[in-house]
Amino acid sequence: VTQIRWLVTAIIAATACQLAVHHATPIDRALPFIAVIVTAIAARSYPSLMMGVPLLIAAEIAIPDERTRLLGFGVVVAAVFAIALHPSSAFGTFSPRGGEKATQSHPSPLRRGEKVPQADEGSLSLAIAAILLLRWIPFSEVRLGRELFLLAIGALIVLVLERTPFAVAIAVLTVLVTPAIPMRTLLLPIAVLLVAILAKLFGMPKVRLALPSTIAVAFVLLFFAWSGVVARAFPYFLQRAKPDFVRTMVAALPANESLTLEVPPGAKSLVVSGANVAKMPRGTPLGRVDSHVIRIGDAADWGYLRREHFYGTRNPLPRDPAGRLRDYGYAAWVDGAGRVPLPPRARVIRITADAGLPSGASLQVEGFE
Amino acid sequence: VIAATCVALAVVPLILLRGATLLRCYAAQLTLALFAWILWRRLLPAPDAKLAFVTLAALELTVFALFLANGRHVRWSATRAAIVAAIVYALVIGATAWKVDGDEPYYLLITESMLRDADLDLANQYRARDTASGRTDLAPFLDDPKGASGEQYSRHSPFLSMLMAPGYTFGGLHGALAVIAICGALLVRSTIRWMEDEGVPDDSARAVFPFFAFAPPVLFYATRMWPEVPAAFLFVEALRGVRAHRMQRWAPAVAALVLLKLRFGLVALGLIVAGLRARRSRMIALIALAIPLVIMFVVSIHSWRELVPAHPMSYARGLGGLLADGMAGIAFQAPFYLCGLAALVRWRETPNGFRIGIFASLLYIFYLLPRQESFSNYAPPLRYLVFLMPVLALGAAWLWPRIPRGAIAVAAAWTIGLAIHGIVYPWRLFHEANGENAVGEWLSRLYASDFSRLFPSFIRVNHAAWVGAGVVVVLVIWFGVRRPQPPLSGKAAAAAAALQIAVFSLAIAIAFHYGREPGGRVEFEDAHVARDGGHVEPKPYTINRAFYRGGWVLEAGQSATFLARSGTHHLQAITGLGALIEIAGHTYRVEPSLAHRTIRVTIAQDGPVTLRVVSGAVNLDRMDLQ
Repeated sequence: VTQIRWLVTAIIAATACQLAVHHATPIDRALPFIAVIVTAIAARSYPSLMMGVPLLIAAEIAIPDERTRLLGFGVVVAAVFAIALHPSSAFGTFSPRGGEKATQSHPSPLRRGEKVPQADEGSLSLAIAAILLLRWIPFSEVRLGRELFLLAIGALIVLVLERTPFAVAIAVLTVLVTPAIPMRTLLLPIAVLLVAILAKLFGMPKVRLALPSTIAVAFVLLFFAWSGVVARAFPYFLQRAKPDFVRTMVAALPANESLTLEVPPGAKSLVVSGANVAKMPRGTPLGRVDSHVIRIGDAADWGYLRREHFYGTRNPLPRDPAGRLRDYGYAAWVDGAGRVPLPPRARVIRITADAGLPSGASLQVEGFE
Repeated sequence: VIAATCVALAVVPLILLRGATLLRCYAAQLTLALFAWILWRRLLPAPDAKLAFVTLAALELTVFALFLANGRHVRWSATRAAIVAAIVYALVIGATAWKVDGDEPYYLLITESMLRDADLDLANQYRARDTASGRTDLAPFLDDPKGASGEQYSRHSPFLSMLMAPGYTFGGLHGALAVIAICGALLVRSTIRWMEDEGVPDDSARAVFPFFAFAPPVLFYATRMWPEVPAAFLFVEALRGVRAHRMQRWAPAVAALVLLKLRFGLVALGLIVAGLRARRSRMIALIALAIPLVIMFVVSIHSWRELVPAHPMSYARGLGGLLADGMAGIAFQAPFYLCGLAALVRWRETPNGFRIGIFASLLYIFYLLPRQESFSNYAPPLRYLVFLMPVLALGAAWLWPRIPRGAIAVAAAWTIGLAIHGIVYPWRLFHEANGENAVGEWLSRLYASDFSRLFPSFIRVNHAAWVGAGVVVVLVIWFGVRRPQPPLSGKAAAAAAALQIAVFSLAIAIAFHYGREPGGRVEFEDAHVARDGGHVEPKPYTINRAFYRGGWVLEAGQSATFLARSGTHHLQAITGLGALIEIAGHTYRVEPSLAHRTIRVTIAQDGPVTLRVVSGAVNLDRMDLQ
């Protein structure tokens, strides 16, 4: 009867979310799926976490701005996972060693009729739920075979590392950073699994690291609406967000070509990116603004963070990224534009592409900011 | 205030938590702060800084409340709880003191008159327009008492102002507010002690404490200049005195209660009848009560005619309004107290103190119900029931093991939202009694559709009103009749709680879906109507505005756009000069008249419709689908 009740709960939650959806992004459309995941987590930990569902609906209804709304979903989902992954006395739960136990004199969770999760119970489902959220939206981009394989590897990592929060964090992060395109990138999670097995064989103790693991998992889930960017350039989300500006491609300069531009009043930086420069390592010159050298690291290849292009790229995230968030979920990416400070009080600047740029590569000038 | 809040959030757990519970609480609070910082950097456009900070502080306090309710190492006592409450009230005063409204500036004016002129004549204060509240628009009401030599007295009892005088002397407006906050802290202490006296287990008291002290209505009345929180404190003291047979406790409390407001005389009377068993004690108490009661009655603007019972329907409407009105009812403004009402269902099993408290309030409530201001007063919600909240909190604490977990989660989330909303936007606590509420107005503007019709209104009774009242009654009965969950029945209880929340989610989603569709009635002064000019009638802040028929006045060339359903509608409007209006491609003539006229208008299809005034001017009341 209890299982049927949970099933009914999941169906009702998904229906409610389906009724509430009225925005068009893949994340909004996936709201019923997210509701089912929240229900599954509540079933494995605290029923009060079901509050995530009405909060998701409230965010869908009340926040018209797309980015803020998707961050709102992220806050709800991250909170649900964090509470489920790191049970603390706030919810009347208990770690096996030195933690707090329910006693007859403090019987609140039991007395309240609330289920008391055992330590690490539900870790496996949490890891699977997190992987589903991070990798399976948008559904159209899912390569079923590879994703099922990754789910299996993630589950094995959790089991090998004894279902601790640390195990969940390792599994989720490993699977998250695996692009799965090309196929050989699947060797990464396999390698992690092998290392975990070897570590256990050589007597690695059970590592919980509950708080750091919870923070890591919560961080990636906070931005699950752009999980592709978290996977391939997570420092992007540690930077202060800046408003998108209208940019017009001014020019794409091949090797040795140059361009002279008037600096608009108030402009502080030049936004540039590279084309076909994804294989260049950090520090490789791309060109110059007057005497200032622009390198890989100031800017990157425009499309290097696309999932299908990411494997093999040697570009890092630009120091001051000016790229725009594009697409959603695991397909999300940021273009490789970066801000280059303008010379002080400059009215006219000369931009020159580096002579060493290979054929087909260019320095793209996107505008002033 | 930001620095003080950070310090307070660090200190508050130290007062009540110890050992591993304290460390875990700090870890959770720091993690929350870390994520708030990350989020703050990613939000574009940057949100209102005050909203963001108050939200963070409220969530940090929620984390503390969770550890307090469930932690093992807790040093719980009524005094410690009162200290925590005092700290929180001080912070809220710091954030909201600039907004002094309703009766507050008048109480402050009396305090200033007492201290500056040593009298109660406010005539010079009204002339000077120099008050710490900063209000320069204060004027006497038409029926305020006047002296033989032209003295201008206030309709408000001076006892509260007298209480605030020492605080005002030392700290001006903030000092006066501090006196009320101290009363709030004392109220928290007395209520917790009362719970202990009545045998409520500590873990229930700890769980109920944040819902009582840090939530509406006590939170908002403990940080503003109204007599409600001092009255609640005196009421609890009187109840404790009666229960302990200590005359030296209840007698001064009852006398002071009556001096605060004449209406509390009904409570005092009820308390003496319900609480004192010995005939001699009753007689002494009644005689002692008669003195302040007579004094208060003589100087008040009230009449004995107010004691004549009203039409039965007005009682039903008042009860419905108090329970379920979207703007001022318990269900929407303090949902946790529905659990206290649920204790009524198990009347015989409830603690004696709860029964005496409810009995003592019955006469008061009987006279309150038919008065529409009971739920549509220009004050923070539930003003007239604040004194009763400790009794309901006792009922809720007693019933705690039986209350559905899902309902508590929903009530907690809603309560946190109410507290944040009231602190960040204190002026919205004073909602004009127009039949809408803050959420309904906001959604209506956002979607240009009538969401207000989904919220029960007993001010302008709508279809949702009686349905909402019925649902609230059913919920209260359900909370009351549920069996307590036996220990270790965890899985079934968990599934039930989750199902309750899922059903609540479905209700929100269905309401949202339905709210975006055109309704059968359009009220032209409502927020969902997009207007190109004109003004609302009667003007906002008109005294007893809810008694008038409201409407929106449009003149020639002005228009209103709204969602409407296809079909024939009855448009109710009034004009003194006559007007020609155009709606959905048809033109109609509204003849001049002294009363509202009904005009049959036809709308061909569902969707946005524009009503334009071609000539003349017209006051548009509403449009009903036939």
